[in-house]
Amino acid sequence: MLKYTIRRLLLLIPTLFFVALIVFVLAKSAPGSPFDLNENRPLPQSTIDRLNEVYGFNKPIHEQFALYLGNAVRFDFGSSLVRNRPVADIVAAQLPVSAQLGVQALLLALAISLPLGVISALKQNSGVDYGSLLLATIGTTIPGFVIAIVFIYIFAVNLKVVPIVGWATPKHMILPTVILALGPAAFLTRITRSSMLEAIRQDYVRTARAKGLGEQVVVVTHIMKNAMIPVATVVGPATAGLITGSFIIEGIFSIPGIGREFILSIQKRDYPVIMGVYLLYAFIIAVANLTVDLVYGMLDPRIKVAK
Amino acid sequence: MTQRRSGLSLISLLVILAMLVSACSGQPGNQGGTPADQADPNGELISNTGSEPDTIDPQKESFVNEVAQTMMVFEGLMKLDAKTLKPIPAAAGKEPEISADGLKYTFTLRDGVKYSDGKAVTAKDFAYGWTRLCDPVTHGAYAFTGYIIVGCETWNNMDPKKDTPAALKAAGEKLGIKVLSEKQIEFTLTEPAPYFLSIAATWVGVPTRQDMVEKGGDRWTEPATFIGNGPFKMTEWKHNEKFVFDKNENYREPVKLKRWTKVMINESAVSFAAYRNNELDFGPANAELLRTIEADPDLKSQVVDVPGSCSIYYGFNTTRAPFTDAKVRLAFAKSFDRDAYIKDVQKIGKPALSFIPPGRPGHDEGDSEQKFDVAAAKALLASSSFAGKPELNTIKLTYRSSATAKTRVEWVQQQWKTNLGLELALDPVDGTTFSQLVKSPATTPQFFSLGWCEDYPDPQNWLTTVFHSTSTVTRTGFKNAEFDKLTREADKEKDPTKRAQLYQQSSRILSKEAPVAFNYWNASKYLQKPWVKGVTTSSLDFEIGIFKMNEIYVTKKG
Repeated sequence: MLKYTIRRLLLLIPTLFFVALIVFVLAKSAPGSPFDLNENRPLPQSTIDRLNEVYGFNKPIHEQFALYLGNAVRFDFGSSLVRNRPVADIVAAQLPVSAQLGVQALLLALAISLPLGVISALKQNSGVDYGSLLLATIGTTIPGFVIAIVFIYIFAVNLKVVPIVGWATPKHMILPTVILALGPAAFLTRITRSSMLEAIRQDYVRTARAKGLGEQVVVVTHIMKNAMIPVATVVGPATAGLITGSFIIEGIFSIPGIGREFILSIQKRDYPVIMGVYLLYAFIIAVANLTVDLVYGMLDPRIKVAK
Repeated sequence: MTQRRSGLSLISLLVILAMLVSACSGQPGNQGGTPADQADPNGELISNTGSEPDTIDPQKESFVNEVAQTMMVFEGLMKLDAKTLKPIPAAAGKEPEISADGLKYTFTLRDGVKYSDGKAVTAKDFAYGWTRLCDPVTHGAYAFTGYIIVGCETWNNMDPKKDTPAALKAAGEKLGIKVLSEKQIEFTLTEPAPYFLSIAATWVGVPTRQDMVEKGGDRWTEPATFIGNGPFKMTEWKHNEKFVFDKNENYREPVKLKRWTKVMINESAVSFAAYRNNELDFGPANAELLRTIEADPDLKSQVVDVPGSCSIYYGFNTTRAPFTDAKVRLAFAKSFDRDAYIKDVQKIGKPALSFIPPGRPGHDEGDSEQKFDVAAAKALLASSSFAGKPELNTIKLTYRSSATAKTRVEWVQQQWKTNLGLELALDPVDGTTFSQLVKSPATTPQFFSLGWCEDYPDPQNWLTTVFHSTSTVTRTGFKNAEFDKLTREADKEKDPTKRAQLYQQSSRILSKEAPVAFNYWNASKYLQKPWVKGVTTSSLDFEIGIFKMNEIYVTKKG
């Protein structure tokens, strides 16, 4: 187990290297530069040349990449080119906000989807099952920003029970958390239900019942435990997605998270921020996947990770 | 990830949805009556400043939502009068003394001008701000406004890495800025420039504190070191969330508000909802929201109209066929119905037939060179050197892509199809790419949509800055010897009447030669809660009521 974990962590290095390479090349090949932001007041070419030299953008791209990597392995991710702030500062200030929102949304999503999925499977074709199907369909088909605007209208403009703007108090967090949780909740409900239904029909479940185990034991230790494998598979990447923030939800509710950096840094060709946030995202995804693989081993002893 | 990407294009749906949901509400606002028209001494105002500014460093910034923060905290030697937009003394106690040759400007500071931390503002502080503007190490986007000062351009164009420190120092010392005494500062200009007073009223020369810049380094714009002499002081900057400005007790005039908070909401639909939820005191009233607002008598009564300071146009690259021929350009300019465009599409603004908007120096009311006239346009096209040639059928209109921009260019595309029988291809590109493309005539697209917003109200900032052949912002490749000569003469002319005449002549040449087809002069509307009082808006507002911020107050909110 330990060996496996170490090997997987070492594999992170080439993974991050290739992510860095691809993102770097793509970012640099987009037309324009961070010094071209205001078309009405363009900087004189001499100033741009000077800036390019200061930041080393006049060097060949492989040299620039080598330079970036050299700094990155020493945990120096540079400073934003359009804001006077180090990338590390931006991440340190904004990631916790996104992570908090993401974890809240994930917990809420799990709290809704697991019981709902389990009950729907156990009482297949009942009222509860159809209700959960309806909820899941709404949650997966209607995009978050539409739900957001409808919720804002109902709960803020009409009922005036929650504020909309900012991230100051727990009251501010209610709407964004609920809206962000809806999508994953719907999706996870469906996955839980279908993998429960599959597990129910397995031979070992029949065996368990045949040897006279109580219904509760059968459901919890034989059906649910096995049904959790597909669920764990999707929860991993979903977690990574949730804690790195949502451009739309953060934008709508003016939440100072990291999610918006994924889009804004590209729009502004802010290369150090682009590299920083995408490497972070890759790292979190990789760690989430590793965690999922380790959890597999616990859920199903047939999957041997300790080799 | 896909959700993030597709969300961008879908976000305009938000606006539509917001309209739908609020259109069917018809809920009466419950503002109640404002008890008295008296300023609440603890009054707090909350507004939306849009997105997080990239920088609020006065000598580096160039965008409206950057300047909007700086000018809460700093004040220059001059400021613009909120009503007339003429420069009036601010930190300077009176109009400067100008030498007979028009080259030397001597400003004397007002007595008792202080920073918010109590330190006196001296001529040295102003000299530091202006010097920092010209310093090549600063790389300011607006350094060019200082080029009128002797030595600024040469120094600014040096390379701090390649040039020797001694050469840099020598160039810096040649700068035409002299501190005469604790209270007096003298500027030497390269040529007589009546518009220098307007430049002195902008943000570029505010008295940035040397001790604070040195103390804070790259992060001196954080509240602890962003100390200024303006009506407010910045007490909090939560990145990507909000700014908090508190009244500066040391400001030279009493400030009526206690606090002004600016949140950062990107979506107008959301800020509209927040305004209705009384979370904001100023709200948006853009074209997409107007129908909703006008259907609600309460909201309708809260709309405030503000004239604009921008002129929006369709630009031709005059170095690329078929726009090398002025007749083709004028034919395009005369063949789209600007009145219908404003009425049906743009909703807010005025149709433009010349470059400089109404209500400001240099506006030419009688200009009808580019007036909508399909018959004349067809005749021009038929008599042009490209009549019947294939170049007319391969024209591509490039624009900064967004959902609203798309409907707008599609509308004019249809006009040229109907009126001239020409099929134009549309070419949307993302913002940064667009900015890079229009940097010089060599890369500028054949046909493009763009605009110009003034920095200070003087025809020089319109005609010379944008269309003189040596301008750094020209992208049409327009070169006209007569126009160049007239504008340069006017720039230096000290007699106001003669100066105005010269500018008018050059403006007419511009309309007729048509390097651009004027489209509209912008304007804006916003919503203001009834308890907000004392706001004087102007067409140059970077922030609502910025030229008289200390007069703004709120009454007790019913």
